[in-house]
Amino acid sequence: MTYSSFLQSEFLILWRRKQDVLNALLFFILVVALFPIGVDPSPAFLAPAAGGIIWCAAVLSILMAIEGAFKEDYLDGSLEQLVTSGLSLPLLMLLKVLALWGCVVVPLLLIMPLLSEMLFLPSTVFWVLILTLLLGSPSLFFIGLIGSALTVSLRQGSMLMMLLILPFYFPVIIFATSAVHAAQAGLSYSGSLAMLLAMSLLSLVVSPVMTAIAVKASVN
Amino acid sequence: MRWVWFHKLGSPKWFFFQSKSWVLPLLGLGSIGLIVGLVWGLAFAPADYQQGDTFRIIYIHVPAAMLAQSCYFALGAAGFVYLVWQMKMAPIFIKAIAPIGAVMALIALVTGAIWGKPTWGTWWIWDARLTSVLVLFFLYMGIIALQSAFDDVMLANKATAVVCVVGLINLPIIKYSVVWWNTLHQGATFSLAEKPAMSAEMWLPLLVSVVGFYLFIAGLVLWRMQSEILQREHRSSWVKKEVMDRGL
Amino acid sequence: MAFDTFPAFLIMGKHGVYVWSAYGFSMLAIAVLTWNTFAHHRKVRNTLMKRYRMDQIR
Repeated sequence: MTYSSFLQSEFLILWRRKQDVLNALLFFILVVALFPIGVDPSPAFLAPAAGGIIWCAAVLSILMAIEGAFKEDYLDGSLEQLVTSGLSLPLLMLLKVLALWGCVVVPLLLIMPLLSEMLFLPSTVFWVLILTLLLGSPSLFFIGLIGSALTVSLRQGSMLMMLLILPFYFPVIIFATSAVHAAQAGLSYSGSLAMLLAMSLLSLVVSPVMTAIAVKASVN
Repeated sequence: MRWVWFHKLGSPKWFFFQSKSWVLPLLGLGSIGLIVGLVWGLAFAPADYQQGDTFRIIYIHVPAAMLAQSCYFALGAAGFVYLVWQMKMAPIFIKAIAPIGAVMALIALVTGAIWGKPTWGTWWIWDARLTSVLVLFFLYMGIIALQSAFDDVMLANKATAVVCVVGLINLPIIKYSVVWWNTLHQGATFSLAEKPAMSAEMWLPLLVSVVGFYLFIAGLVLWRMQSEILQREHRSSWVKKEVMDRGL
Repeated sequence: MAFDTFPAFLIMGKHGVYVWSAYGFSMLAIAVLTWNTFAHHRKVRNTLMKRYRMDQIR
């Protein structure tokens, strides 16, 4: 096995499991729809809240998508093969995150114009929202993958994984929504975007190593 | 040779017998400090000229909040030690201190809310400090839940150590982001940080009660670690001797 | 003493309810924590003792 063949097989597996990605997207739209139904459907409420609503929904659906990232690999033993393959496990984990990120975030971005219309997000702010998703979501995936690797050997691990991981998402949500808010108020938002990028880079450094430790421990 | 003590820390037996005689003195000194600090703060310290007597909550709120944070730093450091050196005592320490940290965070939250009612007029305010203690509380609960979820001890050790280290790296970010978010959302409300400088009559009892809290908690941590060591090392002969000699 | 009379100490200028409930909750929490630590230690020792005795009988 080589790195490129691993990446290829990851994409292939994700393609075969496209129903899961689709489910995560549908879940995303449903969570977004809860807010107009549950709180207030008027543009006066939705337009300022749109950034926050989209981010909360995105965080939840991304967690759903990551939660099962290792489940099948663990059950069919291919996770064990990764550990013994002689390739660098952190690097493999990095590739796995990249594949997963591509397969979940690209469709998410594609339906974003539709949702921003439904939530009356001003078109000038739309691109800021896309930027926050592009810069912020990698760190969601990186941190989430640690939790997923930790709880993979548990039968009822998904709830625990969410409990563990969600507090770590607070800063990402804070900076992302404040960038959107600042853009809506006509203020400078580059600082928040820089923080999102910094958090993604930091988790890029930390997470593959931690995920590798967690995978090794779980496989044993 | 200077590092001998550090290596000895890896031996549960050595640690058990070293720490055995420390538990009661620490608990005793700690409770004396607690009682003196709290009685002093409750009855003898002068009332605050702005907040009146509500300010006396500070004598438990501040030590509890400090401990909630210190415990997390200790937790993260222990996790790091375990991941790097595989030291046997580190997970025992983590297991002992996590529930204590959670209780401290809970005390800080509840006393903060009670303090908030007369000063801010509401039980809860999304103040940066209260929010970051809330996050801290959730981190503790996550660690405790994770630890008890595994049957396999090795896996539980590794998993909790990973979460502790990740939490330690993230804690400053969470704190900073919450402070920043808070200043964004609301102007200068009353902040605990911007208190006028305290007089010595006010901060001396605070100091005593903080020291008392720390000593008491240190005693509790050692005590919990002892139970955990006995449980984990129950196959070794020294544990058998220790348990049988002590009697029921 | 910051208070002239004992009732004044209890009432604390109308803030007594807050101060005393905060102190009460904290002391209760610490007491529960201490009790839990003690009980757990005793339980561990007792279970181990029983287990060792069983082994000896065998």
